Amino acid sequence: MAWRSALAARRRWPAGPLVPGLLGIAVLLAAGALWQPYDPAAIDLGARHLGTSLAHPFGTDQLGRDMLSRTMVGGGYTLAVVATVALVSVALGTAVGLGAAVCDGLARAALLRAADFAIVMPSLVVALAITGLFGLTPLTAGLALGLGGWGPYALLTHALARRAMAQPYVRAAQALGVGSPGILLRHVVPAATPAVLTYLAADAGRTVVAYAALAFIGLGADTSRPDWGAMLYEYRAFIFDAPMLMIWPGLAVTLTALALHLLIEPDADRLAGLRRMATDTALAQATGPGGSPPPRAADKPLTGARPWR
Amino acid sequence: MRSLVQECARAALLLWLASLAAFAVIHGMPADPAEIFLVQMNRPVTPEAVARLHAEWGLDAPLFVQYVDWAGRFVIGDWGLSFRTAQPVLDEFLRRLPVSFLIGTGGLALAALLAIPLGHHAALRPHGIADRASRALAILAQAVPAFWSGLILLWILAVELRWLRPFTGGSAHQLILPTLLIALYSVGTLARVYRTELQLYQAQPYYRTALATGLTPREALHRHGRRHALFGLVAALTPEFGWVVGGTAVTEVVFGIPGVSQFLVDSIAVRDYWVLQGYIMAMAAWMILVHGASVGLRRALDPRICPEA
Repeated sequence: MAWRSALAARRRWPAGPLVPGLLGIAVLLAAGALWQPYDPAAIDLGARHLGTSLAHPFGTDQLGRDMLSRTMVGGGYTLAVVATVALVSVALGTAVGLGAAVCDGLARAALLRAADFAIVMPSLVVALAITGLFGLTPLTAGLALGLGGWGPYALLTHALARRAMAQPYVRAAQALGVGSPGILLRHVVPAATPAVLTYLAADAGRTVVAYAALAFIGLGADTSRPDWGAMLYEYRAFIFDAPMLMIWPGLAVTLTALALHLLIEPDADRLAGLRRMATDTALAQATGPGGSPPPRAADKPLTGARPWR
Repeated sequence: MRSLVQECARAALLLWLASLAAFAVIHGMPADPAEIFLVQMNRPVTPEAVARLHAEWGLDAPLFVQYVDWAGRFVIGDWGLSFRTAQPVLDEFLRRLPVSFLIGTGGLALAALLAIPLGHHAALRPHGIADRASRALAILAQAVPAFWSGLILLWILAVELRWLRPFTGGSAHQLILPTLLIALYSVGTLARVYRTELQLYQAQPYYRTALATGLTPREALHRHGRRHALFGLVAALTPEFGWVVGGTAVTEVVFGIPGVSQFLVDSIAVRDYWVLQGYIMAMAAWMILVHGASVGLRRALDPRICPEA
């Protein structure tokens, strides 16, 4: 009962009780894609800069727009981005990783090098260039971030697939004449899925922040569209008169990202182990067997974890 | 000596690859740079004007000729004119580089200095205060967007307490907050790396030997573990240093610092391709430099190995 022990680990962890609450917030924000208490774009100049009240729990902004509604819509956009990034990077990464596990020699080296390159590439610049050229929508941002983020998935899938394919029962299946597609679908994919999902959850938290950063820097961003980052960019001008305006969207980004990070925090050490294994396997491919140096945790970190600052 | 030649050859290869990528920028973009130039200059976009610009810039020559011509001019320092500012791209970069360099490397150096004692105490006492603090800092750096925490710092220190005048004060007032912010976002991760490296050392047999000779854990970690952990720290710092100059767009936008990253952001917004080309080449050269320095430093720390890539 793996999930039961995982659940128990979550309960033992000191911040565990926070997680359902944080997740509740995240779900509420994501629900904003479907429904908001007010029209988020409705301007009401008679109701500018209202404080917190029952009618407007988050108050209103300089144009009298309801902040709660705007924040909720931003949640919907963020959810769309996270979903797109997950789809793109997992699809691309696992395809390359499985390909590298099945292929030999030059093809494998080339695929792993490509993954290395995708990890080293400055994701901020790539994302800025793509969204600057095609405009910033949840879809383009998702594609840009996904294209910048598939590398770790490839290394991870490659390592897990290699490990699974070395198992005696998989070898037996191969000896019985099961082809590569059968081996991959029946044995390798199920073995790799939990780790990939764990990494995905960590990635989702980073994506929330990265998308907000893209919208904040604001290349081709539409300030009338209430993205959390774009809202912060707009409201930062009111830092002297109405600082609460920049509190709400920032809090939304932080709590959502924090919920996702805390969700996987009990697995953090396992995740670090997975990373090390993924890079070690790729490194072993590059250097060949034998003469392995002493263990170095940080020799080749999967640097998708770098925050944008 | 042989390894030095190898390193140089590798650097040259990487630089060449980067130049191909930078060259591809112009030709891979969806819009014609000549048309963008004409629009930026408020001149009519006629086929004759576009053709004249193409001839002037050599864009109608065969690709290979164009590449050789472009690379040749690049080497002698003619990086073209920026559309937006009508100044030579190289001069624009050189003018902005010192500020970006100062906040980036200064912030990282500060983070590394703080990370060493934090990681040391975290390894000495697992689940102690230092361990928890570094863990929390690492999670928060992932979850709290830098632009938001930057704005909050600005609000507290400059608006509420009035300790700093980040926009009107002297250079110290301008640079303190961004440097602190960059340090804050790196210190947790670096401390975790240092701690993990020390723990790997503690798992080695020679750590037990050190304890058996009568050293306390603190002394053993300090005398024998430090070198091991510093190696890992240098390895983890390498991509960070490669990134931090020119990769701090969020910080520069928040604090209105006229650095390289903000210049790049503004240039991408108006599709100033020549600036993007120059940026790619400058970043590639800087990363190769950092990498070389890191290899040298790691060889000094551990003469047994020559680190791979």
